[in-house]
Amino acid sequence: MSDYEELEEEEYKTQITGKTLFRIAAMIKPHWKWVAGFLGAIAFVSVIDSFVTYLGKRIIDEGIAARNADQVVHLLTINAGITLFQAIMVFFFIYLVAILGEKVRFDLRKMMFNHLQDLSLSYYSRKPVGWIMARVTSDSDRVADLMTWGVLDTTWAVINIITAIFFMISINWQMALVVVATIPVLVFISIKFRKRILLEYRTVRKMNSKITGSFNENITGVRVVKALNREEENLREFSQLTDQMYRSSYKAAWISALLLPTVQMVSAIALTVVILSGGKQVEFGGMTIGGIQAFISYITFMMWPVQDMARIYAEMQHAVASAERIFGLVDTVPEVQNRPDAIGIQSIKGDIVFENVDFYYEPEKPVLTHFSLSIKQGETIALVGPTGGGKTTIVNLVCRFYEPKNGRITIGGQDYLNFKLEDIQSRVGIVLQTPHLFSGTIRENIRYGRLNATDEEVEQAAHIAGAHDFILTLDKGYDQNVGESGNLLSVGQKQLISLARAVLSDPEIFIMDEATSSVDTLTESLIQKGMETIMKGRTSFVIAHRLSTIRRADKIVVVDDGGIAEIGTHNELLRKRGQYYQLYTRQFRQEKEDSYDPFAVPEPVR
Amino acid sequence: MAVTSTTGKTPFSIQQAVSKNRLMGLWRMMTGYRWYYLAAVFFLAVAALSKTEFYLVMRDFVDNVLGKARFDNTLVIYALGLFALAVTEGLASFMSGRLAAKTSESITRRLRNALFDHIQHLTFAYHAETQTGDLIQRSTSDVDALRRFYSDQAIAAARITLLFIINFSAMLTLSPKLALSSIVVVPIIVAVSAFFFKRVSKAYEAFQEQEAVLSTTLQENLTGVRVVKAFARQDFERSKFDSDNKKKYERGVNLAMMHSLFWPISDVICGAQIIIGLFVASSMTISGEITLGTYLAYSALIVWIIFPMRNLGRVIVQMSTGLVSYNRVAEILRQPQEDMDSGEIYPENGLKGEVVFDQVSFEYEPGNPVLNNVSFSCQPGQVIALLGSTGSGKTSLVNLLPRFYDATHGVIRLDGVDIKQYSRRFLRQQIGIVEQEPFLFSRSIRENITYGVTRNVTNEEVESAARAAAVHDVIQTFPDEYKTLVGEKGVTLSGGQKQRVAIARTLLKNPRILILDDSTSSVDTETEAEIRGALDALMKNRTTFIIAHRIQSIMTADLILVFDKGEIVQSGTHDTLVNQDGIYRRIYEIQTRIESELEEEMACV
Repeated sequence: MSDYEELEEEEYKTQITGKTLFRIAAMIKPHWKWVAGFLGAIAFVSVIDSFVTYLGKRIIDEGIAARNADQVVHLLTINAGITLFQAIMVFFFIYLVAILGEKVRFDLRKMMFNHLQDLSLSYYSRKPVGWIMARVTSDSDRVADLMTWGVLDTTWAVINIITAIFFMISINWQMALVVVATIPVLVFISIKFRKRILLEYRTVRKMNSKITGSFNENITGVRVVKALNREEENLREFSQLTDQMYRSSYKAAWISALLLPTVQMVSAIALTVVILSGGKQVEFGGMTIGGIQAFISYITFMMWPVQDMARIYAEMQHAVASAERIFGLVDTVPEVQNRPDAIGIQSIKGDIVFENVDFYYEPEKPVLTHFSLSIKQGETIALVGPTGGGKTTIVNLVCRFYEPKNGRITIGGQDYLNFKLEDIQSRVGIVLQTPHLFSGTIRENIRYGRLNATDEEVEQAAHIAGAHDFILTLDKGYDQNVGESGNLLSVGQKQLISLARAVLSDPEIFIMDEATSSVDTLTESLIQKGMETIMKGRTSFVIAHRLSTIRRADKIVVVDDGGIAEIGTHNELLRKRGQYYQLYTRQFRQEKEDSYDPFAVPEPVR
Repeated sequence: MAVTSTTGKTPFSIQQAVSKNRLMGLWRMMTGYRWYYLAAVFFLAVAALSKTEFYLVMRDFVDNVLGKARFDNTLVIYALGLFALAVTEGLASFMSGRLAAKTSESITRRLRNALFDHIQHLTFAYHAETQTGDLIQRSTSDVDALRRFYSDQAIAAARITLLFIINFSAMLTLSPKLALSSIVVVPIIVAVSAFFFKRVSKAYEAFQEQEAVLSTTLQENLTGVRVVKAFARQDFERSKFDSDNKKKYERGVNLAMMHSLFWPISDVICGAQIIIGLFVASSMTISGEITLGTYLAYSALIVWIIFPMRNLGRVIVQMSTGLVSYNRVAEILRQPQEDMDSGEIYPENGLKGEVVFDQVSFEYEPGNPVLNNVSFSCQPGQVIALLGSTGSGKTSLVNLLPRFYDATHGVIRLDGVDIKQYSRRFLRQQIGIVEQEPFLFSRSIRENITYGVTRNVTNEEVESAARAAAVHDVIQTFPDEYKTLVGEKGVTLSGGQKQRVAIARTLLKNPRILILDDSTSSVDTETEAEIRGALDALMKNRTTFIIAHRIQSIMTADLILVFDKGEIVQSGTHDTLVNQDGIYRRIYEIQTRIESELEEEMACV
């Protein structure tokens, strides 16, 4: 969680560039009617605000001071009428701006999500999930706010200031000039303040995520904390965090509390000048009592938009930075995509051949070099070897999640780059080491393998995968919710479900990354049986850890250091007494030990 | 444990702030800062008074000075007086803001520290059954809601009330008739706004719920990108996201609709009141009942009575969420802490390490014993191995030694003294634990190694501990060596490396009794040998309990206890147990059987 917040906190320093502003403007363009609508409405609202103050002046001067009751009623009627009209305008601007905001947010999120689906795995390995999430959620909010509330607030502020100045000039232009002279001072003060406040708030957010992190670590590691008597030291460290948090948030709060009084103080000076010189002018008939009243109102009401401008400007800078990041995301070209002349195919059955394939994730760090391997249609290949040797990469290349940097991969004799991406990928079934499920029911998760499958077909797939029995033991059976990312199920159960999902998709190539641990013996044997069934007749790649899987393979490939260290059948490789032999004997001892539970069974049986 | 407030005043324990009455609890939580808070409210009143006084002076100015051909001095005095009032108002509202911030931030800081400390002192039993996420949520979001209660909502409620009382009283002095006719609409506007904000907060919750749903969909899509691509389900994902996205849009529109109705409607209600007031006031002015100055003052005051009122509903609704948060926080604070310090015996030179279990039974929940009548004894420096399948009671047994839990029946004696006579703090200083998958903190390697000692440790000491734990060479390969961060932002350590760092940590702590959860099963042979060496260094001269998973690691133990279903079914040394018929021998035989099976298999090749 703390990381997520930090990723949101990316640098704000980006300067507003014309290009980005232009693109934002282009995004507003299709909605110009809405924008025109709310701008019109807000213009009415702020003009009416100023006008009502002016009406107040006329009521005093023309009505009360002149003892003209009819004029008072007349003016108040106008006042009532335009208040009603203003209310309608208020309805329109809130309605239009808020709904347009939602629309823009919706569109931005959709645009990014849709593009994300096309981006290659390489993009995902470069950008942390939290970073991408922050783009889709908070950045789209910020940009939408800029395009709606930002534009609205600016318009409101500008019109308020202009109309106030207009009415003041029409009442008394000399005094109006005095008031106008204070505006730059007010703007300057506000900007200075805003900058300080923002700075402090950034620290507050940073401290906040650190505090959350501390809580998290201290709770999850409470056993160690207690065992090592670390409580006092931890509290001391933690209170340093809360001290910093206190200082920053206290400072941010009191600077904020100082802003308005400071602005008020400056306008109080203007007010005093108005009262002094206005008071004098009343003596000579240059100014009326109502006029003074109106000036006081205008000065008070102008303070808001003026100091608000500073806030709007600061937010605008953030929003433009957000927009730049969003554009960066949607401008990213997927590394793996269909060639222009790619052909559609009905089947990818056929021999798969790696011809002199080179591959790296980062240049200078080769993962596969001059890698050649040929697999006959229907064969099962077990990939074994140390972590980081390149097993997963081979599988990634088969799925065309990545493409070879040099050399080529052929399926049925043709370079697979000639095929359409979706034709390959929709015919691959995959079960990951840490299986990934989606929120929803078990049924929905299995059906992910083939969306139009009937309930019977789903259950049949579960049968084949060996998942059916355990599913029935759950309260709601197939309609049991699996929780966020399937977290309510054990790893073994998740793997059974994803096996069933792969079965249902009836793939032509099957890929399995075996779990190394945390699967109990019963589930393990179910998974084994399920795999056996699905691998029949299909070209299969298994990143194998279990001996039974390895022994069953048609070909065992020991991958190490980006190449093939050994290749052959189980017996061939054992006879070699090489790397495979080492690996096998170690695994053999371990599996045997694990499988004999002297407490559960009186006499160990095979 | 009491939390001394950093202001250096009387120590205040946050547990005192727990009360069944939520408002009472919130009041108690303010202990030590109440005067600041009252001062903040006082300055609010000063600010409101100055504002009102400003208009009353204006009234005087209009009635008695303007147009009366007075000389400059009076004009200047009035102008300066009005300026002074404006300045006073500004200063007072700043002071009030500053004091309110001081109060709320101080209370929050104290609460955060207290919660943090309280949580780390809660019992094992509590931690075992509580969700981490929930605890964190309460310690962060709910604390923040309480902060807002003090800094914003309580102050806003006070401000609205004061504005009403002061301005209404001022109006009463101007004209009771006018005053009374100006607040007709107040109950209506408060009711409407309370109703509205209640609805809005519900709609907002629904909106946020959907936002969470959308986030989950997004996150699952991003983390499951390989699955999505492997099944070519991009279009399916797009439409799933689209429908969640649309639902969020609809809930957003619903919120927008509510706002777009409330604000103009409340504008009309407030506007109507003001226009009626102005009409009454102007007629009274024309008929000479009140002066022009009074009219002017009135027209300003009424605005300050009516418009703040429509925020009252919002404040009330928000305050109720603050009360809910108070309950959620108080629930944690009500939990009893572990007693760290009470104990009668503090051996100056620490423990020697003689351990006796005398008919010890233990159950987490009544009627469900996990240890049953366990008795054994050992001398200082001996190695005791615990063997048994998962759930047989091995871990529960070692949990009793540092008093993570207390035995339900029977007595455990250390150096001849009942364990309950030592304080928990003392016991935990004497006992070191190396877990199967040790927990490391996201700090530097060095800080992780020195985590168990509070004294200053020299680099040489850290390195020699790391050497003895056979992890020094590995650390040397890290980018910043001992300063390298552990975890996401630094290096990811393998299980074996973590365990060796934990061994170094325990070596530095230098405990008399050692508990080892021995798991070398997931590491390769080479590492296993290194860990074995590191463990031997660690076990030297300490009474050691090993939770064992394989026989090789315990053959040299002084005492082997074989557990089944909470009971000791066999005990003795390796040699005696191998010569007995029983589980131990069966396990032992498996080892030899495996080798012969392997040979058999190789022969077939």
